[in-house]
Amino acid sequence: MALTITCPICGKRNGYEFKFGGEEKGPRPDEKDLTPEAWCEYVHMNKCVAGVQEEWWFHKDGCGSWFKIHRDTTTNLEKEVKDENRVQKAKSGGQK
Amino acid sequence: MMNRFNHLPTLKIDTTKKLAFIYKGKKHYGVEGDTVASALFANKVRIFGRSLKYHRPRGLYSLDGECSNTCMEVDGIPNVRCENTLLKDGMVIKEQNVKGSAEKDYLGFLDKMDWMMPAGFYYNVMHKPAKVWPIAMKQIRKAAGLGKISPDYEMPGKFDEIFLNTDVCVIGGGPSGMTAALCAAQKGLRVILMESRPWLGGFFEYRSGEYKDGQNLHERAQDLAKEVAAQDNIRVFTHTSAVGTYNNNLVTGFQIGKKEDVFDERYLEIRAKSVVAAAGCIERPLIFDHNERPGVMQIGCALRMAKTYGQLPGKKAVFSIGHDLGLEAALELHDLGLTIACITDIREDGQDADLLRKIEDKKIPFLKGWVATKAHGAKIVKKISISSLDGQVSKTLDCDLIVASAGMTPVTGHITVAQGTLKYDNHTGFFLPDKMPEKMHAAGRILGLNDPLSIEASGKLAGLQAAFDCENCSIQEIGEAKKALESLPGPVRGSKLVTAPVKGRKSFICFDEDATIKNIKQAIEKGFDVPELIKRFTATGLGPGQGGIPGHNLPLYVAKYQALSDISIRPTNVRPPLVPTLISTYAGVNHKMFKITPMDEMQKKDGGVFRNIGVWQRARYFSNDFTCRKEIENVRNNVGMLDGSTLGKFRIHGPDALNALQRVFVSDMTKVKQGRVKYSAMCNDDGCVIDDGIVVKQGENDYYFTTSSGRAGQTVEWIRYHARYDGWDFALVNLTDSLGVINLSGPNARKVLEKIVDIDLSNEAFGFSEYKTFDIQDTVPVRAMRLGFVGELSYELHVPSSYMKSVWLMLREAGKEFNIQNFGVEAQNVLRMEKCHIILGQESEQRTNLLDVGLGFLWDRKKSDAKTVGAVALHQAEGDQTRLKLVGFKTQNNSRAPRDGALVVDDKVRGYICTARDSFSLNEAVGMALVEAELSKIGTRLEIYEDECGDDRIYGKVVAMPFYDPEGKRMKM
Repeated sequence: MALTITCPICGKRNGYEFKFGGEEKGPRPDEKDLTPEAWCEYVHMNKCVAGVQEEWWFHKDGCGSWFKIHRDTTTNLEKEVKDENRVQKAKSGGQK
Repeated sequence: MMNRFNHLPTLKIDTTKKLAFIYKGKKHYGVEGDTVASALFANKVRIFGRSLKYHRPRGLYSLDGECSNTCMEVDGIPNVRCENTLLKDGMVIKEQNVKGSAEKDYLGFLDKMDWMMPAGFYYNVMHKPAKVWPIAMKQIRKAAGLGKISPDYEMPGKFDEIFLNTDVCVIGGGPSGMTAALCAAQKGLRVILMESRPWLGGFFEYRSGEYKDGQNLHERAQDLAKEVAAQDNIRVFTHTSAVGTYNNNLVTGFQIGKKEDVFDERYLEIRAKSVVAAAGCIERPLIFDHNERPGVMQIGCALRMAKTYGQLPGKKAVFSIGHDLGLEAALELHDLGLTIACITDIREDGQDADLLRKIEDKKIPFLKGWVATKAHGAKIVKKISISSLDGQVSKTLDCDLIVASAGMTPVTGHITVAQGTLKYDNHTGFFLPDKMPEKMHAAGRILGLNDPLSIEASGKLAGLQAAFDCENCSIQEIGEAKKALESLPGPVRGSKLVTAPVKGRKSFICFDEDATIKNIKQAIEKGFDVPELIKRFTATGLGPGQGGIPGHNLPLYVAKYQALSDISIRPTNVRPPLVPTLISTYAGVNHKMFKITPMDEMQKKDGGVFRNIGVWQRARYFSNDFTCRKEIENVRNNVGMLDGSTLGKFRIHGPDALNALQRVFVSDMTKVKQGRVKYSAMCNDDGCVIDDGIVVKQGENDYYFTTSSGRAGQTVEWIRYHARYDGWDFALVNLTDSLGVINLSGPNARKVLEKIVDIDLSNEAFGFSEYKTFDIQDTVPVRAMRLGFVGELSYELHVPSSYMKSVWLMLREAGKEFNIQNFGVEAQNVLRMEKCHIILGQESEQRTNLLDVGLGFLWDRKKSDAKTVGAVALHQAEGDQTRLKLVGFKTQNNSRAPRDGALVVDDKVRGYICTARDSFSLNEAVGMALVEAELSKIGTRLEIYEDECGDDRIYGKVVAMPFYDPEGKRMKM
């Protein structure tokens, strides 16, 4: 509840407006040599970092974009990230 | 009714305006500005209720609602805190936890049975033999507990919620809080000021002592309040308690509405850049024998009864105090006409010389180093025993009022729930803030200050620090404010006594839970050595007062009893809500929200019976026959109309639209052809089917697709999520609300539609599974599809919402000669079930994958697995014989259909019924079930168990799907 999230398009907003989209795990893996184990690892396994974690959020009651933030999972506070392309990426609905 | 003072400048009542209320069935009168408690007190009510366990009489104690003593049933609402609730005309007030009345309670004898109820008796006693426990528990629960509520009770009143954003949030509207607010506001910041009493002023507000240069404290309070009111950028919330503080400077609270407000209570959630905690101090209760007898009250309670509510708290009083505020109050009350038999001060020295001289001048007996040891009187105070601190010398005095307080203690909850820490301070005897949470600053009495000027100076400093957090203040300014504070008197030495020299059998540390000093000792003897454990074992502080009474006394007493060093004294944890809050306040406004379709009004006129289905309200039936026989037969034999506007409807276009569709749909979307309808499904990464719908191609890289009603809200999120790494260029438009859908179905559907459109509707020109767009009367753009969800010739017309009513009326007019009828969601449900067309969520649950429900044919295996959501998992699940499979079944022996959700069993659960109905089209009961693979073969007998069916079972047999028109001729007519 105490969480605030900074949407790259709309700015800092109440955490209620967002939906969590999981840890940052990178794009879907290549099909070549993909084992069921590796797939399961990608889909289901999480690092559950106690500390700063990069993660996805969806601005459901706002602009409707997916974007990433860094959040300290122990304090539930957002950490600033320096990514100049962040706004551009969110506007295009994802990363280039 | 008692005569009230009406000349005091501090009064908050208007004695000219009388308010009537009912107490114990009789009419009484209070005056405007009264709280329920002060009005009852004015009507000579001294015993407000009985205590939780021992049924001891209880009365006014703190006047700020810190204990359950004055919790009463008001207008049918139990546990209303009378001290905080303003009296309203016509209120009906009742006592709680009494058998008989508060004065004469038949369970009062329980007070003498305390020897039977040691600490933890609820866990220790009466569980052997086990048979005794249920009987004992029933009796105990009957006799104990505060307030009664029926399970059917519906909370009256209006509740609201607001979410605020501000620069600085100040908790506490006393002098330090007001100064901090003013300071921050003068820096141009937006400030919110919260005060739990109905007015600003805090400790200054009701006192007549000198502030500075001949000005009274209460005049100073009024000046500050005026300054605050004049400052446009301070938003003041009075009668508002802060009940939670969290990191990121989130403050929650609730506000009690005034007469003119549109809410009774409202929840506040405030986001601030910086927070000032200036909640001040409460009095630390003095513990002696019968220290909660009606007639014993705290200093603030006694003084405010006179200065705020215009009534003397008693006739003859004995004071037993440990703070200068007590001496000051005694003098003020003496001047107002209270006889003071004696003042005993716990402190041997350190009193303010000026106050001592005045006491001497007025010839009030004064004893240093003495303390109250026992209140006498069976129900209310008649006498008091006082003794020297060592208990060696004692005497007894007549009195009807005991003003008792061990000292002050800061209200630190707002600091500790936000993860700040406290440290015991030997000088003040307080738990003082040690590490403050980030961007939170303490001010005022919370720091142990007592001098009015120091209190304001600390407010100024905190206000500047808050401004600094908002980057509106320089370090130099803060330095100056710090210096100014340091030049003023610092924290005063406080009294550290917790209990009078008593054994403690009837000395209560917690009033709400009837916990005595003896109970605490018992817990310690049992080995509970930490306050946190003792608190739970004895229930001390677990009552409705949220630890307001025992909060700091418990750790101090435990430390003293165990002879611990100062350093190891730790207060017990407090948690939000810091002040008792109604659940209905948290719930806020009525959240029964739903969407209506464009046809809502018309279908209601047509007799539609509406139900909430997902976020929508939809016409489920069109008669009181919930089997929908007529509606179903009309569609099978004639023609019917269904409002399908709740379908999710989307347009996706742009260079990468096809890529996005390929990602989320299991089919090969390159095969979607213009003019044709493609049915497909979406899975999640586990292969579990989450959505199905149709896709049509409107042009190059321009598609229109539908989703199930329940899924529409998540579709944009879903598609964008799965495309989040690709940087694709596509636009996704949710048309769910802007388009309505009419499903025209039945063998006569073509004949009806022909009358209102001028295109060729023949089966050759517009065949099954085809898509066409056309205008009705050159005006209404229609997207039309030949689908067969209900298994008959049917047209699904997607029409702009604003034209829905017109098209609906045209169809109805055109259909008149065929006697066209509405059909509702339940009729559709039966019709499609007979065709074995699935509805996700009914024929599937979270773990059901695409293959389980027989939709494997939709999945294109040539598509890249890893790039199609769900495909990898589907490959792995293929051939897995441990999964549930969707089967069709008929019941045997003309049995009725089992209820949806009934279980398929043998010696264990083997599956469940998804949908089953008595089919009028087939004259038998049919349905679909998800069963274990080995039961899925045609001809297998299913044993079906319904809730509460006892030994009766319904038997079914697995048959081929679909049941109705297996060749699908009718929908292709």
